[in-house]
Amino acid sequence: MSIAHDVLFSQMAAAEPWPENAMLYQPLKGEQILLSDNASCLAVQAFLRICNLSVQVVHRANAEYMSPSGKPPFIHVGNHVVSELGPIVQFAKAKGHSLSEGLDEVQKAEMKAYMELVNNMLLTAELYIQWCDDSTSSKITRSRYGSPYPWPLNHILAYQKQWEIRRKMKAIGWAGKNLEQVYEDVDQCCQALSQRLGNQSYFFNRQPTELDALVFGHLFTILTTQLTNDALSEKVKNYENLVKFCRRVEQNYFEELDHESRLSPTSRSLRDTPPK
Amino acid sequence: MASPMELFIWRGDWGLPSVHTDSLTALAYARFAGAPLKVHKLSNPWRSPSGTLPALKTEQGLCLQPLQMLEYFKKQGYNADYRLSVKESADTLAFISLINEKLLPALIYTFWVDAKNYVSLTRPWFANTIPFPLSLYLPNRLHERHLEQLQLRLGSQALNSEEETEAQILDEASECLTLLSQRLASQSFFFGDSPSSLDAVVFGHLAPLLKAKLPNSKLQQHLQLLDNLCGFCNTVLSLYFPTEHTDTVSDTRRSAAPCETDEDPHKRRNQVLSVLVGLVAMLGYAFLSGILSIKRVSARGALPAANRLTEEGDEEE
Repeated sequence: MSIAHDVLFSQMAAAEPWPENAMLYQPLKGEQILLSDNASCLAVQAFLRICNLSVQVVHRANAEYMSPSGKPPFIHVGNHVVSELGPIVQFAKAKGHSLSEGLDEVQKAEMKAYMELVNNMLLTAELYIQWCDDSTSSKITRSRYGSPYPWPLNHILAYQKQWEIRRKMKAIGWAGKNLEQVYEDVDQCCQALSQRLGNQSYFFNRQPTELDALVFGHLFTILTTQLTNDALSEKVKNYENLVKFCRRVEQNYFEELDHESRLSPTSRSLRDTPPK
Repeated sequence: MASPMELFIWRGDWGLPSVHTDSLTALAYARFAGAPLKVHKLSNPWRSPSGTLPALKTEQGLCLQPLQMLEYFKKQGYNADYRLSVKESADTLAFISLINEKLLPALIYTFWVDAKNYVSLTRPWFANTIPFPLSLYLPNRLHERHLEQLQLRLGSQALNSEEETEAQILDEASECLTLLSQRLASQSFFFGDSPSSLDAVVFGHLAPLLKAKLPNSKLQQHLQLLDNLCGFCNTVLSLYFPTEHTDTVSDTRRSAAPCETDEDPHKRRNQVLSVLVGLVAMLGYAFLSGILSIKRVSARGALPAANRLTEEGDEEE
């Protein structure tokens, strides 16, 4: 979000408490959402749950177009619409909910750096596998992406998106990579995360931070999503402490709330394997 | 290692061995690791084997991405990271990602999008550096490519108002610089007393920003406030690039008359070319407007009555 918004947040948002009717918008869970979007949405949900902020999850086919940054998910709180994890973290901070208060300067720097590692490598790898691997994009991605739209439009939008992502890959130098190299990058990233986590319960000792929410969102989605083959999830499964970490977050923050919010669709989506 | 590796990079200026981030990163890492390199500092990217800069020519082929080059150096046994613990290697990866996501867009913005900087620094530099016929085409091409890269990196955010985007990019980059400064603290390099690949990447990104004479320098000013990062860049320059570093003084002195020695052959060629173009234009005009005309003079019709001018023109041709 922009500076103008930041200023607004700190001036206005701080005064109001977190409202009851906050809403989180994301794409349709069953037939539309893609691996990368699901990871981002889950990361935001995890962050809000760790902060103990209640939101109602709303599924909309056009969530991507409703979002101010063009990427799902986004939250609608009072008069504010905020999209993506980074700005949402800022927004919650302005309201007095922060997970990284207790960290010192160097730890904060490291946390930010690891969050960018996840965005830079895991998210990009997910996008690459979704849109640039021919078998995944033809068997899964394009049909799911276009599923809410009628006949000619579904193909047009899917190809348009694919073209856009491929141009982006070209711009960041990933276009020349093949699938093996991408898996290698994922492995490298997981190795780094695993080393960093070590035997701790969370990345910075006992208290989860936004980094934990982000890592959980991505790894849990990768672990529970069925793609054309298991190569991607196998890479994550090689690191036992990461898998345990995902279970821990799920148990502590998603299952215990389950009985309270049985109506919330998210709790179910995490138990079942998200389709795709 | 029968034949040494060859590295093709943009040529340097402003007291730097190269003005280009990726070129600097690769070169700095090679110096840190002590890899034997034949360095070609070019002012024409078409002279490089791939048509782009930087490029590393090895026995197995070409490397174009700076991180691939670092990997290749490591595989060849020139590893500056061997002292790092596994956690430090993980940190390296994380901070490289941070720089890539937050600082790089701001650098592209500062050098290529910001109108003041682009018009009075970046474009003139490339237009003067790249040799003549290409200098009409390549700076525009580079500009387009950087704009496109920035747009694709930002996604649809770029559709918002330009001021907002600018403020956001620069803000994130300033934060990134502060984080780096905090991580470096009072050490001489990021992981102790000797440089590693993270140092190479940080140096590659910060040195041009620190040394370029930018007219519009919000980000540069922020960097100058972070003493330890400035000190870090200067340390790397003086320890690993002593020749360029001492050049700085003489460079600034003769900056009014830019490097005669390097450019001499091009200059001569350019002079010859421009004289030729001028001549062709003048003769073309002369023919078209009828001042000169060519008459085919057959042997029997060779009369002295023919136009005096015509004869002269013919002889010239």
